[in-house]
Amino acid sequence: MGRLGVLAVWTYRLTFGWFLGGQCKYHPSCSEYAIDAFKEFGLVKGTILAGWRLLRCNPWSRGGVDYAHDQRMFT
Amino acid sequence: MTYLLILQPLEHIFRHALNSLHGIGLTWAWSLVALTLIVRMLLVPVTVKQIHSMQNMQRHAPQMKEIQKKYKGDRQKLNEELMKFYKENNINPAASCLPLALQIPVFIGLYYTLKSFAKHPPGGQAAVNAGDFSWLHIVPNITAHVTSHWSGYLLLAVYVGSQLASTYFMSGTMQPAQRRLMYVLPFAFIFVIARFPAGLVLYWMTTNLWTVGQGLITRRLIPKTPMPTIQRRSSRTPSKEEAAAASDDGAKPEPKKPPAQPRQVRRKRKARR
Repeated sequence: MGRLGVLAVWTYRLTFGWFLGGQCKYHPSCSEYAIDAFKEFGLVKGTILAGWRLLRCNPWSRGGVDYAHDQRMFT
Repeated sequence: MTYLLILQPLEHIFRHALNSLHGIGLTWAWSLVALTLIVRMLLVPVTVKQIHSMQNMQRHAPQMKEIQKKYKGDRQKLNEELMKFYKENNINPAASCLPLALQIPVFIGLYYTLKSFAKHPPGGQAAVNAGDFSWLHIVPNITAHVTSHWSGYLLLAVYVGSQLASTYFMSGTMQPAQRRLMYVLPFAFIFVIARFPAGLVLYWMTTNLWTVGQGLITRRLIPKTPMPTIQRRSSRTPSKEEAAAASDDGAKPEPKKPPAQPRQVRRKRKARR
């Protein structure tokens, strides 16, 4: 099921991501994070993690190094 | 399923928004422009924040260039080091995904709304013939394909121009290669956009022109002068800040040594102004 998420991210990358410009304040970028999250935690948890990351990636946040593997939402 | 869950509500939202703008006497095309402007106005706090952090980034550009040179071969390491640098220097990277991502639902919502307008125009074919969907007497029907009328090509040309201009304002901190890509993409994107309803190009054009206007205003309002002088000057007599920074440097592996030459030049330019 996680593959479905990865597919969705790639669809984004090849369409909107293409011209919106892939600049992210985090490392890895939000789309990479999403792919990692889908691969490791499956579709549902991955969606939540990726969604939360996207919300954190706003102009008021700090950014920085943040791997999906190191998440603390699901223990 | 996705259509019912996400796309249809989006379409409804934008249809309602366009309807109410049309209701106060605007044509459909102008309603679309007004809607775009409303979306951008709602985004102003976000963009202001973004522009501020972009200028902050520009201030630290020389040091960041050095890091980039140091870890040229290793993208992973380079990103991690840059992130560390941001944290240490209290920099908020300008780019963030959310404001960009917020434009996607707008785009999709408008796409479906215009598509359904093309199929079932409010007011029927008579309204189309009466020019209810025209814009500035140039574009006859904003729900039709871009390439269905010569004006579409004009829209495309303005779109590319506005995209390049807005890239010019928003790409201040991008790496050169990335910036080059951003300048080429609109041309590649023409072929995709040609299949869209003309109204979408109108939307994209308006939003780009807004970005350009914003760039021009912020350039005028926020003088660039105070920023470089604090950082780049006073090499002989280090200020408190510089002394503090220097003591910080002891902990960091890379000593920051901005070359003396550009400092001189910049100061002269400032003085002339």
